[in-house]
Formats: sequence, structure tokens, C-alpha cells
Amino acid sequence: MSIIHTDVGDNLRKIVILGRLDIPGTESIADELEKLAAAPKKGVVVDLSSLKFLASIGIRALFKSARAVKERGGKMVLVVGTNASVLMSLEATGVSEMIPMFRSDAEAERAAVA
Amino acid sequence: MHNGIHTDKQDETLDIAASGDEIRRACEWLATALRQRDVPDRQVERLELALHEVLANVLAHGGSAARAEPIRIRIECRQEAGEARVEVNDAGIPFDPTGAPEHTPAKTLAEARPGGLGLPLIRRCSDWMRYRRDGGRNHFMFGARWPKR
Repeated sequence: MSIIHTDVGDNLRKIVILGRLDIPGTESIADELEKLAAAPKKGVVVDLSSLKFLASIGIRALFKSARAVKERGGKMVLVVGTNASVLMSLEATGVSEMIPMFRSDAEAERAAVA
Repeated sequence: MHNGIHTDKQDETLDIAASGDEIRRACEWLATALRQRDVPDRQVERLELALHEVLANVLAHGGSAARAEPIRIRIECRQEAGEARVEVNDAGIPFDPTGAPEHTPAKTLAEARPGGLGLPLIRRCSDWMRYRRDGGRNHFMFGARWPKR
């Protein structure tokens, strides 16, 4: 399980999550995700395109971060690429209605700082 | 029997304790067992996610009885019928997922609540579900189907 971030200019933070967001996987990165999302960047892109597994506990962690970003006036978006299993989890739980999702990095980055 | 695993040609059983690490072990066991039986990848992914959510519910809401006794997971694979079934058998508080009310998804992030995401995933990842309470244990069965080749 790993979480990597890159800052792009003053306004954008990109976070890539790899591995499984199941119970132990989410517990191992939740604090770090929260901390990274709390940085004063306008836009946050969370890349889930290479994630192997997304369970409800992982979705709750995404909700929490997206809410924190919104409350400080920013915007968090997701990149899902062509990851069908991640897309299924996000759609089944209604996340796709609340956190914008994009197939490509470029689209996501534009939306996060718009 | 090895590591709590019992096998025969079509069926396989695993006993786990109620913990996050054990749930991961069960999910990985399930995926491996189904792939060995040539279950299509899409159905393996669906059943693996459904199993995770069923077991997470047992861990979160099953109470001390669920944690005191092993949880038994049994898979049945019927290639000729294009179907795989999973049964989760636990000693926790009685809970029938098939009768639980539908979750109404929040419309905004502000309305989103932490709970209630597991059942929609179980429903999405299963083509059917059944429940019975027997011998002081929950028996929850669910399955996925695919077109016969």
C-alpha cells in the first residue's frame, strides 16, 4: 500500500494511491491522505487509476478528504482511468455524483483548479 | 486442511477470525480459488468486493459473539451453470442483509454520512442473495452468474 504526492505549482496537489483500499490498506494510509488533503492547495487530484481494490472503508476516507478540501474552499477530484472495478465501487455508492471523476490526468487537473 | 482451508473439486471452505487482516486473507483466498476454477475476472472482482463488505459488516456490527467464534466462508463453483456462490456463516448478532432498507445516496458531500455504503456494494456485486438464521448463526449466501461458454 502506498500513497505518493506531487505539488504542481501553487494551486494543485496530485495524490496517487496504489494497492488495496480494504480495511488494513485504508487504515494504513487514511491519516496521510487526510494530512495531504489539508494542505492549502486550491485543487487536489486523487489518482485511483492503478488501485487494485476499493471497499466502502476506502470510499469513506475519500469522502472525508473531499469534504475537508471543500470546507477550505478547494476542490477534490478523482482520476479513475479505465479501472472498471474502482468505477463500479464509486458508482454503486453514489460517490460519482459527489466527487467529480475523470478518465485522464489532464482533465482532472483542469477541473480541480477551475 | 491447511490454514483453515478445506477443499474438494468444486467447493472450498475457509475459517477466519474477525479482523481486518483476516478479511484481506479471505478476499485473496476467494479470488485465487475462483480464478483456479476459471471464473471470469469480472465476476471474481464482484464477489471479492461483496465478500469484503459482508465480512466488514460482521466485524463492525456482529458484536462480541461474532468475534469469539470463527467465521466460515464457503464457495461453490458451478462452471456448467455459469455460477459461483459464496456463503458466509457467522455467530454474530442476527442480521438479514436481504431485508435491509435500500440506502438513499447523499446528493452532496455535506449530506454524506460515514455508514451505509457496504450494502449498496453487496447488492451491486451480487446477482442474488439469500439469508437464513440457523443454529444460532447467520448464513448469508450470494452469487454471481456469467454467460455459459
